[in-house]
Amino acid sequence: MEHRIDRSLARTARAALIRGQGTLGLGWRRFNASPYRTLLAYLLAKKWLFFAVLVGIAMLDLPLPEGLTEAGRIVLTMSVVATILFVTEPIPLPAVALLIVVGQVLLLGLDSSEVARSLMSDSVLFIMGSLMIAVAVVKQKLDKRLAFLIIRFTGTRTSNVCMGIALVSGVLASFIGEHTVAAMMLPVGVTLISLTSDDPARVRRLAIVVLLSISYGASIAGIGTPSGGARNAIMIGYWREFFFDPGNPETYRYAVDYLKWMAFAYPVFLIQIPFVTSILFWTFRPKQKSIARAVVRLRAQLADQGPMKPADWATIGLFVLILLGWILLSDGIGLGTVAVLGAAAFLVIGLVRWEELNNGVNWGVVLLYAAVISLGVEMKVTGAALWVAQSFLSLLQPLGVDSGFGLWAAVSVLTSAVTNTMSNGAAVAVLGPITLNLAVVAGEEPLVIGFITAISSAFAYLTVVGTPACTIVYASGYLRTTDFLKAGWKMMVVSTIITLLAAWLYWPLLL
Amino acid sequence: MEVSGDKRFRILSCIDGSDESYRGLHYAARLGSGVDADIILLYVRAVDQDMRSGGLQPRVFRENLLDWGLDLPGINYLKKGREALAELGIMSDHWTERAVHVDRQGDPLGDNSIEYTNRAGKKIVLKLIVAPDIVEGILKECESNEYDLLILGASERWRPGRRKSFWDPAVAEKVVARAPCSVIVARELKENYGHMICTNGSEHAIDVARKDAILASRCQCPISLICVVPEGESEATAMDALVRTRQAIEADDVVVEEVLPRIGDPVEEIVKAGAHYSVIVIARSEKRPKWWLLETDIAYQVMEHAHNSVMIVR
Repeated sequence: MEHRIDRSLARTARAALIRGQGTLGLGWRRFNASPYRTLLAYLLAKKWLFFAVLVGIAMLDLPLPEGLTEAGRIVLTMSVVATILFVTEPIPLPAVALLIVVGQVLLLGLDSSEVARSLMSDSVLFIMGSLMIAVAVVKQKLDKRLAFLIIRFTGTRTSNVCMGIALVSGVLASFIGEHTVAAMMLPVGVTLISLTSDDPARVRRLAIVVLLSISYGASIAGIGTPSGGARNAIMIGYWREFFFDPGNPETYRYAVDYLKWMAFAYPVFLIQIPFVTSILFWTFRPKQKSIARAVVRLRAQLADQGPMKPADWATIGLFVLILLGWILLSDGIGLGTVAVLGAAAFLVIGLVRWEELNNGVNWGVVLLYAAVISLGVEMKVTGAALWVAQSFLSLLQPLGVDSGFGLWAAVSVLTSAVTNTMSNGAAVAVLGPITLNLAVVAGEEPLVIGFITAISSAFAYLTVVGTPACTIVYASGYLRTTDFLKAGWKMMVVSTIITLLAAWLYWPLLL
Repeated sequence: MEVSGDKRFRILSCIDGSDESYRGLHYAARLGSGVDADIILLYVRAVDQDMRSGGLQPRVFRENLLDWGLDLPGINYLKKGREALAELGIMSDHWTERAVHVDRQGDPLGDNSIEYTNRAGKKIVLKLIVAPDIVEGILKECESNEYDLLILGASERWRPGRRKSFWDPAVAEKVVARAPCSVIVARELKENYGHMICTNGSEHAIDVARKDAILASRCQCPISLICVVPEGESEATAMDALVRTRQAIEADDVVVEEVLPRIGDPVEEIVKAGAHYSVIVIARSEKRPKWWLLETDIAYQVMEHAHNSVMIVR
């Protein structure tokens, strides 16, 4: 073979010399894509939209099931179609929100002003305010000081640094939201990785462990306080909407405030922290036991920041005030008012410009949550949620999991499955009305079922799109989608067990 | 010899950081050295899923990363590609540099490219573009900037498995089906083993064979021809096709190293014989189905079943 190639090379080289190195003839390019293929590609891209529409038509065309009203059927159809679109995303998610609004007017026959009013609630105000605060906090560039703090206390052992990252990410995320923390900590993680080696292949396992410490640390913490994530505010809103009656003192416990939420959920978060590092190291086993070189170089980079500036202190002070406002005032004026007041304070003091907030907040997400919460309320009003809850319970009955621990586990598994396919806020918004009605039908405590739903919605460790923190660290380019699967299922098992144990052993003490 | 305008041979080499994509780039460099070719290194970044980042616009964390002096994902891969070209001697001194930024998809970082040009007008371009998905990005680039040849690694990342899926065909399959130019699907791509060109003696096949033979000879790649006829037909039929193709090629002063007449299943025989070469070169059928899911073209099947690299010439 080698001889043949050598001989051939000599001959072809000679031929090339004779011919000269001119250009190739035309004919290598200028083909147009077939319009049929383009059309087919478009149809395939939108296949789930057509599927959702067909499912919707079929549901509206089937005989009305016993116990379900016509209005309930329409709302249920809208919910199913919206869920398919959330999961498969053939159209932009804000478009789904707009269609929900239109559907309530055209299909349900509701007054448009009434629908518009239902879009804005304290929960939505809270989500909006929290996002603006998140952008304002990220803009203050406190991440470098955080990084300095972490490496100062953890030393250079890889496991200690990762544990420190998970802990700091977690504690911060529990108050200011996982997306904020992931955005702040991502450069810290990527810098540590790139300072260890320029070659991504050499530090691949280290990169996975560091970056997943950020995302999983932040994800498990998002349930810690109401301000940890939109889902918490949504569940608080549902409890208040469905069960709270100002004239009935027995229902006051459903007006869950900041501290009460923390009392239920914060221990669940804290217990999970050591498991994050253990599971990640057990799964990926990074070669680098120490990242002393990277830590020393990062320290040198961070050391020249100088002392804290007035703006840094003002940011920290303002955030502490907002936190105190949530704890002390939210019972009276609502979590949303405090959040919006906090965002306004950042603007008034001049720590952030409106253009920065406007560019940094994805208003489509706010619209999406508003529409889904509005649909969730309609699920309750029309009796659709109750009907689905009864049907679901009748399915669980033969399995013997229609009450107590079995039902909690079923709710947790259902929520975990749903949240891995869509954003956790949307999962709680869609499932909340159903699981809370399930609690009523099964004679369970709605607070317990509600907490299980909200907390389980954080167990979206399996996919990139499951939680904002996972999406953000994935954007670094260091991770593969399969990395989330490898460690995620272990995290899911541990988190589910801890939550169910809390519901069984700890929460009864608080009720 | 300087060649300008749209007569320049343009090779698009898709880079995703895998070894396979760099082997593809090496091959692009070799093909490009034989002709006056421009080489464009492309990394496609999927657009940030803004609705999944919990309400924060991706620009917030992207800008934060840049503020730390960190590169965008993909830039390191492209830099590594540029270094590989420099090591091969493709990029020496006297190259001018021009950076271009274009906003895309509402993404704050958009499309970015660095264009290096030498005195003879040869261009090496590093392109980092954003697209809803990888396939759309590659195809859009192919359609908006005419290319003669696309080299795509059948890497783990872009071609997760050999399992055929109706709903989500692998990237390489989608690109080959819809690309407006010729495509090399690089798989364990080794240099110096030559091109095995498939022919059936038709005018179209001979034309394709001539074009590839010229390209291969200019980068000093040995050329072999293969013709497979079905069971029941004689080897003479295959030889006749091979002789006619060989004559057409040699009329261009290009040497054909060997001819391989075969009898049997075309896909099986081509895959088996082609394993000893760098690239199997095969023409797409002129009569292609309008719907690419109904694709039964032999070229398509060879690409799917081959164990090494396949070049599908349009």
